[in-house]
Amino acid sequence: MAQTIRVVVNGRTVERSVPERMLLVDFIRDELGLTGTHQGCTYEGVCGACTVHLNGEAVKSCMMLAVQADGEEITTIEGLARDGALHPVQKAFNEHHALQCGYCTSGMIMNAVDFLRTTPAPTEAEIRHALIGNICRCTGYQNIVAAVAAAAAAMRARAAE
Amino acid sequence: MYPRPIGEYHRPASLHEALQLAGSGRGGAIYIAGGMSLMQALKSRVAEAERLIDLNHIAELRGIAEEDGGLTIGAMTRHRDLAAQAGRLGAYEAIADAAAHVGDRQVRNRGTIGGSLSWNYVAACLPTVALGCGAVVRSVGTSGERVETPIDAFQKGALTTALEEGEIVTAIHFPRAPAGAGSAYRKWGIVHDALPVIGVCVHVQTADGRITGGRFAVTGLADGPARSARAEAQMAQGFAATDAAAISACAAAAAEELSPPGDAWVSADYKKELIAQLGREMLALAAARATGG
Amino acid sequence: MTTMHKPLIGTSYRRREDARLTTGFGQFIADIPVANALHAKFVRSDRAHARIRRIDVARARALPGVAAVLTGEDIREVIPSLPNRSTQPLLPAHYPRHWPLAVGKVRFHGEPVAVVVAEDKYVAADAAELVEIDYEDLPVVTDPEAALKPDAPILHEGMENNIIFEMTLTGGFTPEEQAANAREVDAIFAAAPHTLSRRFRVHRCGVTPLETRGVVADWTRSGLRVWMSTQRPHIDRLVFSDLFAIPQNMVHVSAPQDQGGAFGVKAPVYREPIMIVHLTRLLGRPVRWIESREEHLMAVSQERDQIHDLEIAADDEGRILALRDRILADNGDSCEGVFWGFVMPFYGAAMVPNGYAIPKCDIHVRAVATNKSALSPARAFGTLPGRFAVDRMIDILARKLGKDPAEVRRLNILRELPHVSPTGVHYDYSDYLKVWDKLIETVDLAGFRREQAAARAEGRHIGIGFGTSVHASGVASVALVPMEGQPGYGSATVKIDSRGTVTVLEGDAPQGQGHETAMSQVVADMLGVDPEAVIVRVGDSVATPFASGTFGARGGSYTASAVALAAKALRSKLARIALHDARRNEEPDSVTFAGGKLIAGDGNPLTTFADIAERVIMRPLDLPEGMDASLEHTAFFEADFPMMSYDAVAVKVEADPETGRFRILDVTVAADVGNIINPQIVEGQTHGGIVQGLSNAMFEEFVYDANGIQLSSTLEAYKIANAADVPPMHVVHANTPCRHTPLGTRGMGEGTPGPVPGALVNAICDALAPFAVEIDSLPIRPDRLWQALRAASAG
Ligand SMILES: Cc1cc2nc3c(=O)[nH]c(=O)nc-3n(C[C@H](O)[C@H](O)[C@H](O)COP(=O)(O)OP(=O)(O)OC[C@H]3O[C@@H](n4cnc5c(N)ncnc54)[C@H](O)[C@@H]3O)c2cc1C
Ligand code: FES
Ligand code: FES
Repeated sequence: MAQTIRVVVNGRTVERSVPERMLLVDFIRDELGLTGTHQGCTYEGVCGACTVHLNGEAVKSCMMLAVQADGEEITTIEGLARDGALHPVQKAFNEHHALQCGYCTSGMIMNAVDFLRTTPAPTEAEIRHALIGNICRCTGYQNIVAAVAAAAAAMRARAAE
Repeated sequence: MYPRPIGEYHRPASLHEALQLAGSGRGGAIYIAGGMSLMQALKSRVAEAERLIDLNHIAELRGIAEEDGGLTIGAMTRHRDLAAQAGRLGAYEAIADAAAHVGDRQVRNRGTIGGSLSWNYVAACLPTVALGCGAVVRSVGTSGERVETPIDAFQKGALTTALEEGEIVTAIHFPRAPAGAGSAYRKWGIVHDALPVIGVCVHVQTADGRITGGRFAVTGLADGPARSARAEAQMAQGFAATDAAAISACAAAAAEELSPPGDAWVSADYKKELIAQLGREMLALAAARATGG
Repeated sequence: MTTMHKPLIGTSYRRREDARLTTGFGQFIADIPVANALHAKFVRSDRAHARIRRIDVARARALPGVAAVLTGEDIREVIPSLPNRSTQPLLPAHYPRHWPLAVGKVRFHGEPVAVVVAEDKYVAADAAELVEIDYEDLPVVTDPEAALKPDAPILHEGMENNIIFEMTLTGGFTPEEQAANAREVDAIFAAAPHTLSRRFRVHRCGVTPLETRGVVADWTRSGLRVWMSTQRPHIDRLVFSDLFAIPQNMVHVSAPQDQGGAFGVKAPVYREPIMIVHLTRLLGRPVRWIESREEHLMAVSQERDQIHDLEIAADDEGRILALRDRILADNGDSCEGVFWGFVMPFYGAAMVPNGYAIPKCDIHVRAVATNKSALSPARAFGTLPGRFAVDRMIDILARKLGKDPAEVRRLNILRELPHVSPTGVHYDYSDYLKVWDKLIETVDLAGFRREQAAARAEGRHIGIGFGTSVHASGVASVALVPMEGQPGYGSATVKIDSRGTVTVLEGDAPQGQGHETAMSQVVADMLGVDPEAVIVRVGDSVATPFASGTFGARGGSYTASAVALAAKALRSKLARIALHDARRNEEPDSVTFAGGKLIAGDGNPLTTFADIAERVIMRPLDLPEGMDASLEHTAFFEADFPMMSYDAVAVKVEADPETGRFRILDVTVAADVGNIINPQIVEGQTHGGIVQGLSNAMFEEFVYDANGIQLSSTLEAYKIANAADVPPMHVVHANTPCRHTPLGTRGMGEGTPGPVPGALVNAICDALAPFAVEIDSLPIRPDRLWQALRAASAG
């Protein structure tokens, strides 16, 4: 009824014995204390608040079991900033007032970061389409879309340097 | 909510190993692919897993390959990878149409075509495309026997398929289409990219600018995806690929024939109307793709 | 060189909350670490109306890891029922008696029937499945009109019918006065050249926040400690104190620093927190409950749900002469502390006249109990259905008269302010016409009409629709005391410590409104300090002065005013001491606070902020006569007049008459929100409110089947607008400084969703005017529109 898993979380290898049925989101929050990953659904997996990166790709951590992450790499919002420097998406969210309560923000940012990795120069319509899996109840999305666009521009500019 | 206790979790590296695990005679084995449907079922406790067998690490189940001029898609190929094929699928563009709008990015990063077909939900995109495009489902039973099942025989109603216990879908094969074929899929849901209220997949065969035959499949019906015999009959009789009136009549025939159930959100009448609307759009799009227009 | 303080009020100072929230270091209720906590899971009714015959908890209790399983029978003698003195408003109504767990019978699908407490949340879920409940089904009523029928099943024992609340809001306080008023209204209708009568219906929907509710409670020898998602920690403390007979000074309630939205939902006194407090008292261990989305969607956050039988009388130009409205609200089971479901429709009824100059009104509202979840507050508090009804009616009138709805609306907009509405609501001074004209200019109505004509000639159908909204900018005690038995004042403490750093303490519990940023801006301007060094603590019942909580747009009006007053008091004290120390004999007002310094009127620096703070607190010698060393000031702010904000909204759409599909082109809001502390925050609040209004109008719907079974308890079924669903939005202002607040600010944002659905439907009907479709109910979806088009073409 329990299995030992090794997961690289935010660059650090952790080893834990977990019940097979434990959700990845509970592993991240309850076992590792990384509470920046949030939860907004019962079982439907719609809200996106729990989005993390599994080997660099955005996934909903409420829709996976912790045992499935054995041997994989997980990045959560806490691990996004590198060497104390915020990711351009994090910065843009502040500059464009892309959050109010902040509950959707971690998932929104994690999804946006993965999206910009695959789509460095998105159109507004592409950004909106990419964010469908993250519900925000506060902002009406306009500033989030602007922030993602601005982050994309900043990242392109930086890449061009 | 949280799943009921899961007895064992296995992560086979090969098909063979997976089948052995499932076929050990103990029963109670469930495969998990993308988990985008199964996790809902486990968490809401409508399903439970004594032994969960994870197909995510079986390389032979992944990938998109050309085969005898047709297309073979590994069961564990994710929606995201299918969506990325847009513009390169020839007669089967409908696959990318559907995959690009399944749920959302995160769902597409995990969900698979094999899982989608095996689950066969009443409102699902890929099963409808498979039906509309006349796919063949390849699977292996626990005895090791390889089976090819035409999609019409594979789908057996809502949440039901021809799969036997422990059988694994390995690939979906889309047979070689003659020149002048094209397909398209679109759905309508209450919010963008939601589960389809109605989705329509049309696959047409054309020659000299005329539709000479095709398949017309619809999702959003009570018993899982279904084809419209009447629409297909009109396609077989043939009409010009750009004949808007004939296209409308063909889609209207499908709307008349099929009976989607009304619910608290959308009336039965409007669902029929959606079949007609989307049917028109998809017929025209498939025909345009088929004729290179 | 003199240091000038560049004012921060009025600038889009970047939000200070974001540093933690964009990096995952916010602290929401579910993030609060409490050692040794048990996990609670509620077992909820799976039917809408039934007598409880028997509950068998033996199997659940026997599961290893289960600490307790309780049912209504276990608590009915132990916990007092509601209503009690701290949860019952002063309005005359039936306040149905209830406990945190159903006693005797269940009244809606989702009502808590039992609670399981276990060492682990997974085990709690396992045990909850093992609770066996034997019900005897009772007839179900899910429709408010059916609930009024003589043979309707009655929900609450001791009541003769299902009417929870009924009131005439116009004419006066006695039946005679009201009848006389009604006769005057009748006479105006009889003589009017135009009368219109319609039934408008707005479905059940709300503003469910992304974070659900949660409570962590710990009863120890030193008292009761509670962390909970709440908008009103001080009120919760009062309620727990009353219910559990423990002095208020032994109850410590904290709202977490971060809350994932609330929009009204986290304001009432619900069953679950009371139960959790009881459990920690009973079990002697901390108990934790984090609500599931399913519970949230079934038990709370359902609002709107009103029928308006609205009639208007108008003259030939379109001036409304009188209005009659009969409002029926589907109040659900009505068991909800403080609000009881009906307070929202009551307030909505009071706001029906909106910002229109309607000389005479006859408005009556009834709220009836049904087998649904009680209405709970949602942003636009009770007013959305009335806004929809009146704004739709103005467009219908305009069509009848062959006039542009914008013209008819302008004709009816209140010009004389301040104003007392026919329902007795006070509106303070503003200039609604200026806001309206700003809207019309921004959307370029004339240009749009030309574009519309050209598009029509090509077979494309675009349209524009309007709505307006007067909404409370905080609720003054004069309104809140009768409504909820609670005060409306704003309060705040500002403290300066001996190193000159400043702390603001406010008893509100914000959930995304950016109080930390806005209050820092206010304090920084007042005291000339670095806003980044200001700490704002919120929502703690011990640390902060008593406050009513975060609701009704109180932040920018009441709380910011209290902060300003408190900071101002400290500022003059410091100025006096600095002048005294410098042996200068000037007025304290002559001293400038800037860049961490105090500067005399002649430009000479007096001292630094840090030095004077240290001097006062640590070296309180030779202070000016009568002064003490305190650099802490608590201010309570009560406006001398209730304050309002005003919005006017325009929605542009393109609609397809064949398919019924429509697309929103854009939405523009013009508003008077008084002086703005932070424009970016104000704009963001407005965006969010617009989208909530659109999402309510088109997508969100709480669905009950004929047996009262809820079909919308997941986010897959309860559809909320996503990023691809929403149009571009524009926000403009025509602000009038508020005359009743020290900074001229008003609260804003609360009412924003209200006028949006009406504007949307007006736009759709405008686009499809050639087809003469009329839509009088929500939600508006392609299905509904297509049916209406078919009906219209069938004649
Ligand atoms: C938020 C959200 C939105 C969604 N929106 C859509 C949508 O718009 N359109 C749509 O079509 N779908 C939608 N889905 C469902 C999605 O398409 C799923 O990916 C799909 O239904 C299941 O695929 P999966 O790989 O995730 O399978 P899983 O969930 O892992 O498995 C589903 C079932 O199939 C079985 N199974 C899986 N793979 C195999 C195999 N190779 N052989 C035999 N049995 C197998 C499993 O045992 C299980 O019973 C949505 C899901 C979510 C969570
Ligand atoms: S909690 Fe995972 S998608 Fe909502
Ligand atoms: S900021 Fe509150 S949900 Fe997005």
